Amino acid sequence: MHITTHEAQESLAAIDAMMQKMRRSAAEGGTHYFLILWGVIWFFGFLGSHFFSGKIAGYIWMGLDILGGFSSWLIGKAMRRRVRHAGNKITNRRVALFWLTLFLYCMLTVWIAGPVDSKKLAMYIVLFAMIGWVAMGFLLSLSIVRLALLITLVALAGYFLLPGYFFLWMALLGSGTMIGCGFFIRFRWPSS
Amino acid sequence: MSGLNELIHQSVRLRIMAALTVLDPGKEVDFAYLRGLLEVTDGNLGAHLRKLEDAGYIAVSKTFVERKPRTFVAATVAGRHVFKAHTEALKAILKQGRPK
Repeated sequence: MHITTHEAQESLAAIDAMMQKMRRSAAEGGTHYFLILWGVIWFFGFLGSHFFSGKIAGYIWMGLDILGGFSSWLIGKAMRRRVRHAGNKITNRRVALFWLTLFLYCMLTVWIAGPVDSKKLAMYIVLFAMIGWVAMGFLLSLSIVRLALLITLVALAGYFLLPGYFFLWMALLGSGTMIGCGFFIRFRWPSS
Repeated sequence: MSGLNELIHQSVRLRIMAALTVLDPGKEVDFAYLRGLLEVTDGNLGAHLRKLEDAGYIAVSKTFVERKPRTFVAATVAGRHVFKAHTEALKAILKQGRPK
């Protein structure tokens, strides 16, 4: 078999491109779907917090969180089908347990720190959610860590600089950052 | 040039092997997912996979997930070795071709 230098170069470039595509796709693991989904949920949830009273806003959040949880489960299920290995089931179960534990710790923190106003409650939940994203990022891809830190900074800026408009800030900029990052990952990275 | 493999060198098969060998041993890729990554048709991918499977470079397993038939593909140990030797041979050709 004879191959010219040019052919060899082209083949190596094709191999490299394919390997990168696969690595990114496997590392990303559908992150953009989660970002867009939770960005939309945050948008409506924080808009609800801005425009409605505490009780109505609470019900809106409850409904949205149930919808988000169920949709995340469906997305996770679809993503797991792409690549499988013997340890998949154990890892997925541990990831699910991690999020459940984090949620319980968040509730405990809010309970011990309480009584807290709705703004503080929202900030606690955002911070705990971002801790979860950072942990997932260290496990899956460092890009997710950067995204979580960016969203945390946006939330902190709104909380301290514009306390009167925090919910509106989060609805527009918090969720906007998530949705924007989701689309950035979807279209900048070559595959999903 | 030793190490070069005619079967693997075909562009689609080369990309299939690149995609499969980048994963850790033991990991399998869903057929539909692989088709999407490679941007090829069902029939085209199926034909290339058969050739690689016949050579023993990949393992294809058919199973049922939630009562739906699914096909998973993974690189075998032999496939990983052959692919590695092929890429090293390509690199050697490039090295030889460079002006000294």
